Amino acid sequence: MRDCREIHWLVVVLALAFGLPAGAKAGVDEALSSHVLPGFGTFARSSAALAAKAGEDCRAGALKPAYHAAYDAWMGVSHLHLGPLEQGGRALAIAFWPDTRGMVGRTVARLVADEDPVVDTGEGFASVSVAGRGLLALERLIYEPEFAGYGAGDYECRLVGAIAVDLARMGREMADEWPDFAALLRRAGAPGNDVFLKPGEASQALYTALMSGLEFNRDQRLGRVMGSFDRPRPNRAEARRSGRSLRNVVLSLKALRDLARGLADGPIEGSEAAFAQALETAGALDDPVLAGVATPQGRLKVEVLAQEIRRIEDAVAQEIGAALGVSAGFNSQDGD
Amino acid sequence: MDRRSFLSSMLFSAAMPRLGWADAGSPAYLAAAREADGAYALYGLSENGADIFRIPLPERGHAATAHPSAPEAVGFARRPGRFALVIDCVAGRETHRLHSPEGRHFYGHGAFVEDGAVLVTPENDIETGQGWLGLWARDAGYARIGEIPSGGVGPHDILRLDGDMLVVANGGIRTHPDRGREKLNLETMRPNLSYLTLRGGIEEQVELDPDLHLASIRHLAEADGVVGFAMQWQGDLPESAPLLGLHRRGEAPVLCAAGMAEQMAMKGYAGSVAMSGGQVAITSPRGGRVHVFGMDGQFSASLKRADVCGVAPAASGGLLVTDGMGGVLRIKGDGMRPAQSYDRAWDNHLIRVG
Repeated sequence: MRDCREIHWLVVVLALAFGLPAGAKAGVDEALSSHVLPGFGTFARSSAALAAKAGEDCRAGALKPAYHAAYDAWMGVSHLHLGPLEQGGRALAIAFWPDTRGMVGRTVARLVADEDPVVDTGEGFASVSVAGRGLLALERLIYEPEFAGYGAGDYECRLVGAIAVDLARMGREMADEWPDFAALLRRAGAPGNDVFLKPGEASQALYTALMSGLEFNRDQRLGRVMGSFDRPRPNRAEARRSGRSLRNVVLSLKALRDLARGLADGPIEGSEAAFAQALETAGALDDPVLAGVATPQGRLKVEVLAQEIRRIEDAVAQEIGAALGVSAGFNSQDGD
Repeated sequence: MDRRSFLSSMLFSAAMPRLGWADAGSPAYLAAAREADGAYALYGLSENGADIFRIPLPERGHAATAHPSAPEAVGFARRPGRFALVIDCVAGRETHRLHSPEGRHFYGHGAFVEDGAVLVTPENDIETGQGWLGLWARDAGYARIGEIPSGGVGPHDILRLDGDMLVVANGGIRTHPDRGREKLNLETMRPNLSYLTLRGGIEEQVELDPDLHLASIRHLAEADGVVGFAMQWQGDLPESAPLLGLHRRGEAPVLCAAGMAEQMAMKGYAGSVAMSGGQVAITSPRGGRVHVFGMDGQFSASLKRADVCGVAPAASGGLLVTDGMGGVLRIKGDGMRPAQSYDRAWDNHLIRVG
C-alpha cells in the first residue's frame, strides 16, 4: 500500500507552488494554532518523557507518573481523527479501547508467556497487534497484579520499554507530520489541494472531530459502562485499572471545549454553559472508575452526565455547526 | 410475413425505446443529491463526474436504477419508501409513479430484466417480514404484473446478471415502518445472497457461517462472473469483522478484510460496493474511507475521504466515488484524485448507466 503521507507531501508542495488562497476559515486557523498543534506537541513531549523514564527505570512504580502524563496528553488529541492520527492504525495503536473482546489482556499475556523477542527492535514491535501496544497494554503491565511486580531484568521490563518507545515514535511522527497537514487544512479549496477540495471541508473536518469526540464520551466512555438499567457494566470502564475512567472524560471534555472555542467565529454562550455544566457534574461525581453504575443511584448520576454531554452536542450544533454552515455527515448519519 | 409475426414485430418495435441515453446527453452515471438550499435532485454525470442533467426530486432519494437502453431512470425513496418515480431523463420529468402494494414497502433499489421490459423491486411484506420481489411491466405503463419470493428477509440491493439471472442481497433484518428503522430480529437474523430467475425461482443461496449472522448483506456489484457483496455489522463489532465478500456461482464465498486497525476504522459499515479493472472497492461514510481489494480478495489500499459513500466503475478501468460534501473522486490503482467538487451532498449510491 502506498503511504498516504507521500501524497500529503506532494500536495503541500503543489499548494505552496500555487500560493496561499483566500477562503480558509479563521476558525480553522485558530483551532489549529491554539488547540491541535500544541496538543500534538504536548503528546510528543510526554510520550518521549515516558520512553526516557522507561529507559532509566522500567519498574511499574517508577513509570506510573509518566504513564499518567502521557495519557493526559493523549486526552488532549485523541478526538482529532484526521490526517496523521488516521495513518497506519495509530489511533488504536496508542489506545486500544473499547476492547470489546478482551484482546489487550490476551495479547499482553501471550507476549509475556512467550517472552516474544519481537520487543527487541522498534520495527519488530511496530508489527505487533495494536491490542498489544499503546497505553492500555502499558496499563496492564504496570497496574495488573499479575504483571506489575516485575523486576528490571524481567521480560516485562523489555516489553514496557518497547511500548514506551513505540508511543514516543508515534508521538514524534505525528508532531512532525501535523504542520504539513495543517497547511492542507488552511489551504482548503486551493488549486492542487487534493485532500480538502473546498474551503468548507476544513471546518467540516474539525467540526466532525468535535462532534464525534463528544459522542464518544457520551456513547462509549459513559454509555458502555452504564450498559442497561438491569445490567450495568462497571468492568467496561476505560483505563479503570489505573483509575482514569472519569479523569479521561473530564480531560477530553476540556480538550473538546478548546477545540470548540477555536473553531467558533463568535461567542458560543450556549456551548460554554453546557460544557461548564457537564464539567461541574463530572467534578462532583467522586467516582473515578465509574463503579457507581452498579447501583441505581450511581447509575443515575452517570446518566445525568451523559445527558449533559448530549446537551453540549446540541448547543455546538446550533452555535458552531450552523455558523460554519456544516452539519454531521449526510451519509454517515443515515446508513442504509 | 404472416399476420401473427407482423403483429408481433409491430408490438416489438412499438415496445422499443424511441430515444436512447444519447438523447439525454449520454450520462455515464446517475446520483441523487441534496442541494445547498435543501432541495433534492437526480443528476446525470459524465464519465468525469461533470453535470449533464439535473431533475428535481420531491424528497430524498436512495438509489436510482437506469433502464438499459431508454433514457429512463427509476428513483427510489429511502427505506421504508412506498413509492418510486420513473423519470424521463430527456424531458426531465416524472412519467410514472410506482406505489408499493398495500402492506409492502420498497428498499430503495431495483433492477431491469427482459431487455428492460420488466422492473424488479425488492419489497418487505410488513406483517410477515418476508422479502418479495415486485414485478412491473414497463410497456404497460409500469403496471404491477406479479411478484416472487426474494429468498429471505429484508431484500435490499438487487442486480441483473447475464441471462437475466438476478442476485438479491437479503439483508436479514426485519423492520416495521411503524417502528422506523428499528431492527426487530437481531438475535435470529440470517442474511443470504440469493440467485434466482423470474421463471425458475431460486437457483442458489449463499449463507455465511453462523458466527457471521450479524453481517447484514446489503449491496452488490458484479464483474467477470464474480459477485461482490458489501455488509453492515449489527451490534458490538468483532475486531476483524469482514465487510466484503466475493462469490462465484457454485463456490464458497471469499471474505475480505484489511488489517485489524484499518478494518475497525470502517466502523463495521460498508455503504456501497463496486468492481472494475481487477479491483473491488467498498466505502464507509462512517469510517471516512474507501477500502480497495484485488479480485483475489487481497487488501490493497485505504483511501481517506470523509462521508464517502457512492462508488461505481469508470469506463477507463478505475472507479469513481462520491461523498456527502459534494466531491467526486477518481480511484486509479491505489491512489485517489479529485475530479469535481460541488456545493451539494451526494446521496448513498452512484449508479453506472449502461
